[in-house]
Amino acid sequence: MSTTRKRVYGYLAEFKSASALYKAAEKVRDAGFRKWDCYSPYPVHGLDGAMGLKRSILPWFVFFGGVTGCATAFALAYSTQVLIYPTIVQAKPTNIFTIPAFFPVMFELTILFSGFTVLFGLLGLIQLPRLNHPLFASKQFHRATDDGFFIAIEARDAKFSPDATRNLLAEIGGENIELVEEEDA
Amino acid sequence: MSHHVTSADIAIHGDHLDNSKVAKAKTLALGVAGIGTLVSLLGLFGVFGQWFQGTYAYSWVFAYYFFLTLSIGGVFWTLLHNVSNSGWGTSVRRTFENLGSTFPWIFLFGLPLLFPQVNQYLYEWMNIHRATPADQTLSEHLHHTDHLLYAKKWFMNMPFWFGRIIFYAVGLTAVIWFLRKLSTEQDTDPNPGTERLFAARKHSTYTLIIFALTITFTGFDFLMALDYKWFSTMWGVYLFSGSALNSMAVIILVCTFLKSRGHLKHVCGPEHFHIMGKLLFAFTTFWAYIAFSQYFLIWYANITEETSYFLIRNTGGWNTGMIFLVFGHFVVPFVVLLQAWLKKNPKYLSIVAVYTLCMHALDHYLIVIPERGVSLGNLHVKDAAGKVIVDGHKIFGEITPAIGHAFWGDILAFVTIGAAFLFVLLRALGQHSLYPNRDPRILESANLSN
Repeated sequence: MSTTRKRVYGYLAEFKSASALYKAAEKVRDAGFRKWDCYSPYPVHGLDGAMGLKRSILPWFVFFGGVTGCATAFALAYSTQVLIYPTIVQAKPTNIFTIPAFFPVMFELTILFSGFTVLFGLLGLIQLPRLNHPLFASKQFHRATDDGFFIAIEARDAKFSPDATRNLLAEIGGENIELVEEEDA
Repeated sequence: MSHHVTSADIAIHGDHLDNSKVAKAKTLALGVAGIGTLVSLLGLFGVFGQWFQGTYAYSWVFAYYFFLTLSIGGVFWTLLHNVSNSGWGTSVRRTFENLGSTFPWIFLFGLPLLFPQVNQYLYEWMNIHRATPADQTLSEHLHHTDHLLYAKKWFMNMPFWFGRIIFYAVGLTAVIWFLRKLSTEQDTDPNPGTERLFAARKHSTYTLIIFALTITFTGFDFLMALDYKWFSTMWGVYLFSGSALNSMAVIILVCTFLKSRGHLKHVCGPEHFHIMGKLLFAFTTFWAYIAFSQYFLIWYANITEETSYFLIRNTGGWNTGMIFLVFGHFVVPFVVLLQAWLKKNPKYLSIVAVYTLCMHALDHYLIVIPERGVSLGNLHVKDAAGKVIVDGHKIFGEITPAIGHAFWGDILAFVTIGAAFLFVLLRALGQHSLYPNRDPRILESANLSN
């Protein structure tokens, strides 16, 4: 239906190089925007600092994931090897002091649970997988995987304004500035 | 990083340590080392009686090997930097090389161990070898007395042992001397190119083998041989993990010291400390992994020859130390070093480095010293005619977990070799520029971001 009004995603601006992107990111950060992102074909060192990104909360998820794994393994090994079915080998007792025998299991489950929290925590935080992204409506955006450096400022941002944001992007060296509208569902 | 480092920020003639500023510390260290060495040599060769001679021999091995791991680790980080084509570490590489260059000097402190007067208290296998009667060959003698030593004769025999000592001394000294020379010559080269960089990379490959043999087999010859019946396949890598960890701790301390004196300006910053802190963290975990693996293999297999190590150390007072090691050497630094901000702060990271070194001292104390009480009380040194020269029971008393008052000797040996280590390290720092100012990668390293 071409008559329905489209939802505006935000402005997309292209920058010439990684260093231009870096400098522009610092200015967008200083302008106080929160809902915006940089797109580059390869990782740019220090860009997270230039964007003013805070440290990810992910390490905490992983830490508690690891602790959970360690505790699970201990409970599993202790309940089976000591409480339910003690196995006496070479006259070694089965009690809390035979904990070295549990260590491989505790180690493995710590790693496994940490790995799971890394993967699923990360996917949750970056909201992947998803079927589509509004920026895919832009005709030039595919170059972000080849030779294009982009900054997109979302319309959801409190500081967003149709004119001022466009002017800001132009001021800091953005080219091919485009108002991206979400495609029809 | 706030400021992008360019070649204008690099000291063109190098960043030199003002020797007059450390002269006092150097003199003091040299004095302590000199007096300590003199007293030690007198003690080791029996001037203060056999009790002191025997107990102090163990003190000496403990202190000697502790500082040897730090020097060997310096060589390791130099080699690793070169062979991994590393860009981040160029601005701190000179510190690796300076630490590694202390190796020949520290190795000299092992010389007393070559003499029967000293090693008769330490290495029982040598006593058995030396007690070979005149009418028997060594093989016959061992075949009659100790089958284990007979089977191990191809490795544990005096000519091969001396040969190995010479190999360690010459091999690793040549490696670090050559690499350091290659690196420091670049500092004053008017046309610095990439030849030396590539040469260092090329020659660091096969020389890593010399390093690996040295850390493994010095561990075998000086420490594992304290009880010739005992063996552990994890021993070499266990010592390596402690060596790499604690030489990195020393490197962090040296870099912090140099930064506090206004050196390494522009080239070494929080990012470098972050990486060094990460390496400290990595090797803390690696040490725990290896230490546990060794314990686990021995605990599970339950073989008499192997369990003796933990039987001595996991009973009585020593057990407190061993359990403390689990938490102090692993759990505490593991949790503390998880913090990224801490690793970027030279001051806090240095506190952790000092702590790690203390734990390393405890680790090595528990490797060497528990052997003293059980070995000395049991000692019977006989000459080739079968006459008893040293009767351990008479001199050292009953077999005991720990010989009282002998720890004063441990402190003396540690301070002596420690002072010598400090002196040769400060001397090495003063010899050349503190960072390779004409290295092709110095700017890459200075602008590090991770």
